[in-house]
Amino acid sequence: MTTPTDTHGRVQDSFSAYLDGELAAPDKALVEQHLAACLQCRTHLEQLRRTLGSLGSLKRKAPPTFLPDIQRQIFTRSSGRFFGQRWRLFGKIPFEWLSMAMIVAMLAYYILTQHGAPTSVSPTP
Amino acid sequence: MTASLSERLLLARLRNREEAAFNEVVRLHGDKVFNLVLRMVGNRSEAEDIAQEVFVTLFKSIDTFRGESQFTTWLLRIAANHSKNRIKYLSRRPTDREGLDAMPESVLADHGRGPMHGHVRAPDAVLESAQVDDMMQKAISTLAEDHRLLLVLRDIEELSYEEICEITGLPDGTVKSRLHRARMALKEYLEDKRE
Ligand SMILES: [Zn+2]
Repeated sequence: MTTPTDTHGRVQDSFSAYLDGELAAPDKALVEQHLAACLQCRTHLEQLRRTLGSLGSLKRKAPPTFLPDIQRQIFTRSSGRFFGQRWRLFGKIPFEWLSMAMIVAMLAYYILTQHGAPTSVSPTP
Repeated sequence: MTASLSERLLLARLRNREEAAFNEVVRLHGDKVFNLVLRMVGNRSEAEDIAQEVFVTLFKSIDTFRGESQFTTWLLRIAANHSKNRIKYLSRRPTDREGLDAMPESVLADHGRGPMHGHVRAPDAVLESAQVDDMMQKAISTLAEDHRLLLVLRDIEELSYEEICEITGLPDGTVKSRLHRARMALKEYLEDKRE
């Protein structure tokens, strides 16, 4: 082997630029020329390629509760100045009483139409 | 760096503290911020906490954004700084280290893959991908913090060198040489593990 050791080093130093497609044509040609003849550098390049490939699969999404969690944080820390409307409104609507009132209303409607109607509509002369 | 019209409109609404505008920003950039933070700190619950903090900071200090850089790079710079601060903070509390290592993040959740896209992957495939994820995360965590940031920004978040220079404030040449060293160090670590 006549290739000086620091040639391998210099070729390997340009691997990132080579893989990023950032090498000028003459440098690229030199690297490829060396790679064609050097198994050691070829192996290192393959390993680097594999490493970068695995990194590409490391994307994760924020959890589904991400936005409401932030909104709650801002709500608390702004002493309710921001992102309060929804929570406040939600807390203020008395759903239990609303449903109770609805039942009473329906019952009253039923009683009025079925039983109370004839007496209430007949006018007294 | 000139912002697009839609970005400028969104910014104006953000400055008015319009909640819908803020929700839109979280929807647009939430995943990017979360993933950056997750890969920097390597722990899911810490990452959720920090990423939320990033957006709270954004909401509080949107007025300090003067538009000299892209909005996205400004936001990611906040994320990078918050991550670095947390790493420093956690390293000063050695008793809590077991919390960092005990729960590989991929075991806790696997958002954005598999079932979410309408097909359920075979259990062994899920396990295999979880193992790859853990191995890669461990490898990334061995890198020095500034090297780690460059690797995450370029090879995971796939940002341009121009954007990375804006986020880190480093010159182009430094970014490229450090990134190269980070990549080679990661490769060496992984090859050692494979042997
Ligand atoms: Zn060689």
